Amino acid sequence: MSSQVRKVLSLILLERFGMVVEKVATHLFQYGSSPLLHIRKYTELPLSKVKESLAILIKYNLVSFKPNRNENIANYTFKPENVLLMLRYPKYMNLIKKKFGDECEMIIEEILQRGYWTASEVILKVQERISKSNNISLVQVRDQFVSLVNSKYLVRLPFSQSEDKPVPELGIDGKELHSVPTIDMAALKRAKSAEHSEFADKNIYWTVNFNRFHQDMRDKIIVTAFTKKFDDNVGELVNFLLNQMYIRTEPWADVSNPIPILEIKELAKKQKNLSQLNAFFDQYVTLIEEDHSNLIRKSGEASGGSFQIFLRQAFTQFAWELVEQCVFEKFDTKAARIFRLVKLKEYIEPDHIQQQAMIPAKEAKRLTYQLLEENYLEIQELRKAATGGGPTKSFMLFHIKLDQVVRMTLELCYKTLFNTMTRRNHEKDINKRIIDKKQRVDTIAMGMRVQGASEEQLSDIEDMITPPEREILEKIEKTMKKFNAAELEIDDTIFLLQMYLNYH
Amino acid sequence: METEPSQNDVETRLLDLAKSQPNGVSNDDVKAHLSDVPLPELTAIINKCLKNGLFDLFKLKNTLFYKYKDPSKKTTTKGADTEERVVYKIIEEAGNKGIWIRDIRFASNLNMTQLNKVLKSLETKKIIKAVKSVSASKKKVYMLFDLEPDSTVTGGAWYQDQDFESEFVDVLSQQCHRFLVEKWEEANQKSGGPLAVRNRSYATASDVHKFISELGISKVALTIKDIESILFTVVLDNNAERIVKTDGSYLYKAVKGFLPAPGLVKTTCGICPVVNRCADTGHINPKDCSYFAEWLNQ
Repeated sequence: MSSQVRKVLSLILLERFGMVVEKVATHLFQYGSSPLLHIRKYTELPLSKVKESLAILIKYNLVSFKPNRNENIANYTFKPENVLLMLRYPKYMNLIKKKFGDECEMIIEEILQRGYWTASEVILKVQERISKSNNISLVQVRDQFVSLVNSKYLVRLPFSQSEDKPVPELGIDGKELHSVPTIDMAALKRAKSAEHSEFADKNIYWTVNFNRFHQDMRDKIIVTAFTKKFDDNVGELVNFLLNQMYIRTEPWADVSNPIPILEIKELAKKQKNLSQLNAFFDQYVTLIEEDHSNLIRKSGEASGGSFQIFLRQAFTQFAWELVEQCVFEKFDTKAARIFRLVKLKEYIEPDHIQQQAMIPAKEAKRLTYQLLEENYLEIQELRKAATGGGPTKSFMLFHIKLDQVVRMTLELCYKTLFNTMTRRNHEKDINKRIIDKKQRVDTIAMGMRVQGASEEQLSDIEDMITPPEREILEKIEKTMKKFNAAELEIDDTIFLLQMYLNYH
Repeated sequence: METEPSQNDVETRLLDLAKSQPNGVSNDDVKAHLSDVPLPELTAIINKCLKNGLFDLFKLKNTLFYKYKDPSKKTTTKGADTEERVVYKIIEEAGNKGIWIRDIRFASNLNMTQLNKVLKSLETKKIIKAVKSVSASKKKVYMLFDLEPDSTVTGGAWYQDQDFESEFVDVLSQQCHRFLVEKWEEANQKSGGPLAVRNRSYATASDVHKFISELGISKVALTIKDIESILFTVVLDNNAERIVKTDGSYLYKAVKGFLPAPGLVKTTCGICPVVNRCADTGHINPKDCSYFAEWLNQ
């Protein structure tokens, strides 16, 4: 984690939690784990503020704590990667919405907003929110909640194992993590009618399991990649393969265990809208098996053949392609050609680059050294020991270290993220006056509407914003939308690169 | 075509005659020995031999004599001194790749002025020639006069007067790609399973060669090998894939990549040339960035 990341993190924290929390978190990021009094000393904040910020950070799982050697004091450790996940919240919600529908999205949303919550309270709140527009019973919401727990999108929060220690040690049994809670429906109904009531599960908290979401996002990347390269039918086939993979394989294994193709065939047959895939099922299988990328390979002939998915290789390939695209966009076709040539040959002399890439000597040289300067290429020099007089001969070989390039690109992503956020805040600052005005007008208008003002009065209030101002406001809105979209897209790139690093 | 064997035959007979007479043969001797050959043809052959340096022509007592000269001993012609012989040998060893003047100097241990003189004299005698290399425009390499320069020196079909014709290569590369894509689309339109579609969209280099020749965009005749190297650039551009057939030749097919353009390059920073110098303070900063302003106004 670099200083670039630190800057991004402080912007995110500043936006969501304010200055004090940001200061505490930045201190923890810079100095590593530290006890409470250290934090107070270096941040020069009052103790109560520090405590409050730590509580907030712990609530959102951005800080963890562990007893010091002196068991009465806790050491607080910052978890920077979880802060970055906050940018991904809209994506998680969207994913759940597509897979399980609006009710589940709301459950996830409520829990994300609070960090963690008890099952009963979530169900009550969601039912209350939905019943404003739709009729839905508590039992229905509960079923949705249970399905989220069963599919591991929600997990139980670790809890304190021993009561008597000054610094609680949090832990949880593997079994309890996903065990479905017993929810007292009668108590819920009582709570709905009465003002207050105690729930049986008041100490059982649930939180979002990001890993499970990432697994889905990973599968989606693989499926869309195959869909793009081949067609929708191949995408479906790969989707089936991935779904079947989980029966036999750990979700984050490098290579899946063999999956019998007959199972997939049966599954595909049950789907009605896949006539093309069913008609040429064997051919499609051969097609992906014989593909150059070698991401899905046959592992055995038994029972019609079984196949393995090489997830690690898939992400290596995707990372390559992503980096190539970056080179392509930044330096154009010819540089991308050189980059791919070096990748293909592993080690290559400059002379061969211009010959095989068919680029004029001068340009090839310029581009190669430009790529070298920007750290996309590396030089390996082979020098012969100088013997007596005469010119010493040395070979310059170009090559690529993918790991480094990926890390560099990731840094670039963080920088881009930082720049977009800074610029967005800056644009907001410049137009602060007009935005404030708009907000004021809106509140006044709303207040008057509540009081039952006439249409005429309302339009008078609306007219307080002049047409040029309205134009500016529209432009600001467009700009903000663009920034938000850009942030989400950069996060896609970050996710892919992190997947690559996870697998290596 | 038909006269060739007889011509060669006449030539060998003439050479045999000349070899048998180390003192040279006169016109009359030739006429007497090869009386069955018509005179114009004979003259043509004699002229050819003279041009190739197989014969020496000299005048003795007002008669013209032809003397056989061994082509392998060309250096040992009159006037060649030791230096010339040494230099000749070095150049001969370099073959059709040629040798640079500096390398000759190192190998022969002659000083610059002397070497220049020797090279000049060899050049005027048409024993060696200087060829400009494409790899370095100012570098001249020397090689034997009758050798055809290697393609690494001239650059092959892609060079004209030491200049790489990059536009020509680009156009060819685009056309090759177009051909493969068209073939692929055509294959997709026909019905049949996905395997049949895939197999139909493969093209060999000679298919592409035919297509390019019919287009008539190339002034020079391109070989299959030239097309292969053009196709390789298409492969490098990630627009095609290349597979090896069982007989070792290649098949090409248009392909698409796995990923769409990543989010990173859709913003300005991903493609910014000064991103490394950008910081939150200083001249280059995100707040005043003009690239950002352009991007926002798009």
